[in-house]
Amino acid sequence: MSPEPTVAEVRRRLSAKPEMVFSAFADAHMVSRWLRPAPEIKLTVLAFDFRVGGAYRFAYHVPGGQVMIVNGIYRSIEPPSRIVFSWNIEPPDEHAGLQSEVIVAITPERDGCELHIRHAQLTQSGAVQRHSGGWRGALDQLAALLSNAAA
Amino acid sequence: MVHALARGGARSAGELGRHFRSAQPTISKHLKVLERAGLVERTIEGRVHRFRLRQKPLKDAERWIARQQAFWTGAVDQLDRLLQEVSRGES
Repeated sequence: MSPEPTVAEVRRRLSAKPEMVFSAFADAHMVSRWLRPAPEIKLTVLAFDFRVGGAYRFAYHVPGGQVMIVNGIYRSIEPPSRIVFSWNIEPPDEHAGLQSEVIVAITPERDGCELHIRHAQLTQSGAVQRHSGGWRGALDQLAALLSNAAA
Repeated sequence: MVHALARGGARSAGELGRHFRSAQPTISKHLKVLERAGLVERTIEGRVHRFRLRQKPLKDAERWIARQQAFWTGAVDQLDRLLQEVSRGES
């Protein structure tokens, strides 16, 4: 079992300059054109205050009429290389209430850059959330136990 | 221990102790941590405490990761396409 099971991560080599990739996160119109899981899901930007402490709110319109709403706060902005923001899915979604954070890192490379998006869940819902460090601590314990059992 | 619980359904701390060749207080301590984390649930029958794996928290976490992984992979595909369109438009 991985010691950090609640992390989603994507790395991609892009041919655009870091400044260009950064602007794709920093501009509401640009964001609305790509920050969605598939082209058939339409993104409406409901709020967009791109500065440290500023909030965003995105509505995702899934074919069939369902809407998913995500909101968050920009925690850190370092043009053109790093953006950190919180990510909360609003009710009635099954993952509503989970606190998570997205870290975007843009590293210059020859003829472009590498984009690294790391989305980590900070706490677990329900019983686990009430015990600080419970989830991570328990998984560390689990990993130790399982490696002992294998030895 | 999670594997032992997953295979055997509800187990007592003594049974788990024999399985891992560990002293019962050690096993009880680990079980308490897993129980606090919501990964394991305890039922009490007389003097015997039985422990059972709760599948839901692990499954929830897996689903969340799979969903966000798909979200960002799809989004980066579209970002890549958009950036290429923009650069073609500029040139």
